[in-house]
Amino acid sequence: AVPCVSGGLPKPTNITFFSINMRNILQWSPPEGLQEAELTYTVQYFIRYGQKKWLNKSECRNINRTCCDLSVETSDYEHQYYAKVKAIWETNCSKWAETGRFYPFLETQIGPPEVALSTDEKSISIVLTAPEKWKRNPEESSISMQQIYSNLKYNVSVYNAKSNRTWSQCVTNRTLVLSWLEPDTLYCVRVETFVPGPPRLAQPSEKQCVRTQKDQTSALK
Amino acid sequence: GLRRCLVSMDMRHVVESFQEIKKAIQAKDTFQNVTILSTSETLHRIKPLDVCCVTKNLLAFYVDKVFKDHQELNPQILRKLSSIANFFLYMQKALQPCQKQRQCHCREEATNATRIIHDNYDQLEVRSAAIKSLGELDVFLAWLDKNHRENSA
Amino acid sequence: DGVAILPAPQNLSVQSTNMKHLLTWSPVMVPGEIIYYFVEYQGEYESLYMSHVWIPSSWCSPTKGPECDITDDITATVPYNLRVRATQGSETSAWSTLKPPFNRNSTILTPPGMDVTKDGFHLVIKLEDLGSQFEFLVAYWRREPGAKEHVKVVRSRGIPVHLETMEPGAAYCVKVQTFVKAIGRHSPFSQAECVKVQGETLPL
Repeated sequence: AVPCVSGGLPKPTNITFFSINMRNILQWSPPEGLQEAELTYTVQYFIRYGQKKWLNKSECRNINRTCCDLSVETSDYEHQYYAKVKAIWETNCSKWAETGRFYPFLETQIGPPEVALSTDEKSISIVLTAPEKWKRNPEESSISMQQIYSNLKYNVSVYNAKSNRTWSQCVTNRTLVLSWLEPDTLYCVRVETFVPGPPRLAQPSEKQCVRTQKDQTSALK
Repeated sequence: GLRRCLVSMDMRHVVESFQEIKKAIQAKDTFQNVTILSTSETLHRIKPLDVCCVTKNLLAFYVDKVFKDHQELNPQILRKLSSIANFFLYMQKALQPCQKQRQCHCREEATNATRIIHDNYDQLEVRSAAIKSLGELDVFLAWLDKNHRENSA
Repeated sequence: DGVAILPAPQNLSVQSTNMKHLLTWSPVMVPGEIIYYFVEYQGEYESLYMSHVWIPSSWCSPTKGPECDITDDITATVPYNLRVRATQGSETSAWSTLKPPFNRNSTILTPPGMDVTKDGFHLVIKLEDLGSQFEFLVAYWRREPGAKEHVKVVRSRGIPVHLETMEPGAAYCVKVQTFVKAIGRHSPFSQAECVKVQGETLPL
């Protein structure tokens, strides 16, 4: 690659890792005032905090987009990492813009669980499946985020459309049966995973609604 | 269980205190290729039996050495460091009954792990070593949280 | 420093309830003048290892009133030294130091406010939001002779939480106490409140 004049451009801004279920995406914004310019970017990552090397991320050399997936390079979540990016325009390039120290174990967001609802006349069964850790390829064996965070819990929020009331319940196991519900009533459920400890962003599941069946006894009369 | 001397504590505030100063403290650490706590997975390899001893030793490392070697002028950062230092003092007191009952025994592995950390510290100029150790408080706090939780393995 | 002609604040004391700590003192009176006060603190760590270090209070350096909310400063369960001085223009009083030092484990814990309701057959409780350091031990039982008391730890604050699925025709009672892990203490239990399925809340 033709060497560029370093410092000829302002640095990229807002460089940070966006991490969810250990999928770690480096993202940044174009340099100040150059949002419209046709820039390219090159990314390097620090093999790990405490090691001596900056390495090139080959798939993120001279790219147009403002993000780069570094999940493979940062997959040992108990270690900490740095990354940096510079902007390039013709023969000019910026200095490196560097992230703070990134600690996946403490900083990754835990995505919503899978929520399966089934109902009968007066009850709703809720089966929750913890989100999976990101994996390099589909063949790789799955690891549940629950295996990484043994104190992972679920906050189940239930809305009764007839009474217009909402109540919540904190559970640790995967199945929950709401019994003695009102027949022929719409209930909506939303579930959020959370791990006690450092404050973490959380993403609740999509709201799912289900109607309990009609009361069979009154149906027979 | 294997782990004795669990200190039941609410770590949320002390973790939040560090989160608020993490960026500022870690930015002052310019030696990214050296670590104090994280070399060769020192803390990750501590066995349940050694948790009490390593906790005691690392609390003393921070209370008797790191916080003293760091001079902080920014009042916001000073408040958060004071919060953490006094929390560690409280933990040291909470561990004392256990030590009196001889349940905080130090085996060779635990002593070695502590020595590695002190050696790493002593290889750097003292101010740099102090700021680096403060920047690695998230590693120590995460280890404390994981190992002093009632239901953790 | 200005010469200490201004009298130092007197009668320092701390009122602490539910982990909210208020430092108060007698105001320094100088007719026609505005007096400002500066509050500083040091935890046991500072007093043991760095006794020269005093930290300006988060909210009261300076302050006009003869009181200071020191809740955000007292963040560990160890003794804290607190001191106050008055200033008027360039004049500064001597420091007055609280004796004995304050430890938050002496805070007064009161039973929490609670709202016990039902949604059909579901017993629901909403608890007063006292802050993130509070957990709630909720005891509930079916109101009948020999009924077993169940206990649930609730950490959600200020939102309705599901307690129990009730059986038709039964009445259930609930009482709550707070627990503060940071100081290892409980509040007394609240008064019990009872709810009857298909009926209104019943007084005890």
